[in-house]
Amino acid sequence: MALKTPEQYEESLRKLNLKVYLMGELVKDVVDHPIIRPSMNSVKMTYALAQDPQHEDLMTATSHLTGQKINRFCHIHQNTDDLIKKVKMQRLMGQKTGACFQRCVGMDAINAVDSVTFEMDKKLGTGYRDRFIKFLLMMQEEDLTVDGAMTDPKGDRSLSPGRQADPDLYTRVVEKRKDGIVVRGAKAHQTGAVNSHWILVMPTITMTEEDSDYALSFVAPADAEGIFYIYGRQSCDTRKLEGSEIDVGNPQFGGHEALMVFDNLFVPWENVFMCGEYEFTGPLIERFAGYHRQSYGGCKVGVGDVLIGAAALAADYNGVSRASHVRDKLIEMIHLNETLYACGIACSSQGHQTASGNYLIDLLLANVCKQNVTRLPYEIARLAEDIAGGLLVTMASEKDLRHPEIGKVVEKYLKGVASVPTEHRCRVLRLIENITLGTAAVGYRTESMHGAGSPQAQRIMISRQGNLEHKKALVKDLVGIKD
Amino acid sequence: MGLIGIKYCGGCNPQINRSGLVRDIEKLLPPGCGLVTDHTKNRWEMAILVCGCPIACADRPAIRSMAQHWIRVGGATVDRESVPESSMADVIVGRIQALKLEFRSR
Repeated sequence: MALKTPEQYEESLRKLNLKVYLMGELVKDVVDHPIIRPSMNSVKMTYALAQDPQHEDLMTATSHLTGQKINRFCHIHQNTDDLIKKVKMQRLMGQKTGACFQRCVGMDAINAVDSVTFEMDKKLGTGYRDRFIKFLLMMQEEDLTVDGAMTDPKGDRSLSPGRQADPDLYTRVVEKRKDGIVVRGAKAHQTGAVNSHWILVMPTITMTEEDSDYALSFVAPADAEGIFYIYGRQSCDTRKLEGSEIDVGNPQFGGHEALMVFDNLFVPWENVFMCGEYEFTGPLIERFAGYHRQSYGGCKVGVGDVLIGAAALAADYNGVSRASHVRDKLIEMIHLNETLYACGIACSSQGHQTASGNYLIDLLLANVCKQNVTRLPYEIARLAEDIAGGLLVTMASEKDLRHPEIGKVVEKYLKGVASVPTEHRCRVLRLIENITLGTAAVGYRTESMHGAGSPQAQRIMISRQGNLEHKKALVKDLVGIKD
Repeated sequence: MGLIGIKYCGGCNPQINRSGLVRDIEKLLPPGCGLVTDHTKNRWEMAILVCGCPIACADRPAIRSMAQHWIRVGGATVDRESVPESSMADVIVGRIQALKLEFRSR
């Protein structure tokens, strides 16, 4: 198959038997649930654009394993051009959905696991690489969406995994059998979890020998017995239950996160890629985080493009697009957004080959990229709210706009420029609300802060990679200090 | 004139309306001449590389090998020369006709 159609993707999800709880209830129909459906539409778009001649050059790649055309989300980066195209694809996806399209975590996970299993096998004589390649072949052939699952709940952050009051606060092996392992614990904030076919679990922090039961990586079908999900709430999420198109802001697309729980999940050995090799947890985390921090230089830029466009339209509809301060604010938004893109492209173009043959981004620049992402979208959002005006948060509902009596009043008093229908103004303002305060703010704001690691995690990496001794040596050389 | 290949870049930040340009080109082509995006069968004799910006990231050897002759669009440029977007379709169709004449004279 190699490339699924969007319809085949949706159909494949319907065949899964996912156990998803949402607002205290077990969801009967995950695909069509009105709160979940927009997030599925976003992932579905990764399949639709791969079929489109206008976008296939970014959305597809050639498998290094089979030579077949595959979705880029299933690809192992073979050169820096692949790394650059990944960022461009993510920008495109952000533009087309105005939301988190969720499929990046799997792509980043397979690229991290590819090089680390290779190096693990070489040093320790383990046999993980062959198992991983077997999984990768299936993923590429069946065009699977895979959830790369890293973040554990972590409990008391001052304590190591094994010293937690509840040992399940980090995902761990509780039993090793002849035929596989039994896993208990959870993964928090799992993006796209209930739109995925498989999950690829990785450790959440660098482990020491005493925590080797937590040094764990494996794959499992998303609907395996022993996995269930508790769907995360988003600001304004129940607007999706109201049947309104305008008030949800983005009527088609969205993102989601869920708590993924492993309740004595059995994983056969053939699906295990790390089990106790604690010294390789650091490289696996560093590489996954690096790839994922690169990702944010693409996806958030695409959503930023949408927000800038919406702010510009709001200015047009308010009749202020010619005001110099408004134009300057739009320029500032573009400047900030392109700064993020520049970081994504830079860390990609400076990538290098690993021992397994795949390409890794420049880790310093990827961390600088994500550190900027923890800040600049907030300023872009602030400027969008500034341009949009207070109506953004005081506007009447779509039901009022459509009301047989007061609708005319809403139409009359929410009018901006005479030539623009009031409804158009409402639609654009609701989209800005969606991205800055509503369901998509999860992806655009707080995920920009904490996704792929909170700001301090990047600062630790920047400190490690910053080559400060070289900078000191430069000064000594310049001013004539001889040690 | 036969079929002319169309190969798009991925379209991450296009400065021109790529699909609009292709539609305009199609309208200006003489009868018997058409555009096609399917490149799985034969190597095209002639193709148009439609890239949304001057970087033209799809202009690379693997793509070039898909056709004998290319007309390269990169944002508002045709074969690296600046052309107003409103005139691009005319300029490209002119190049197609010139290339066809060149083929016949060989």
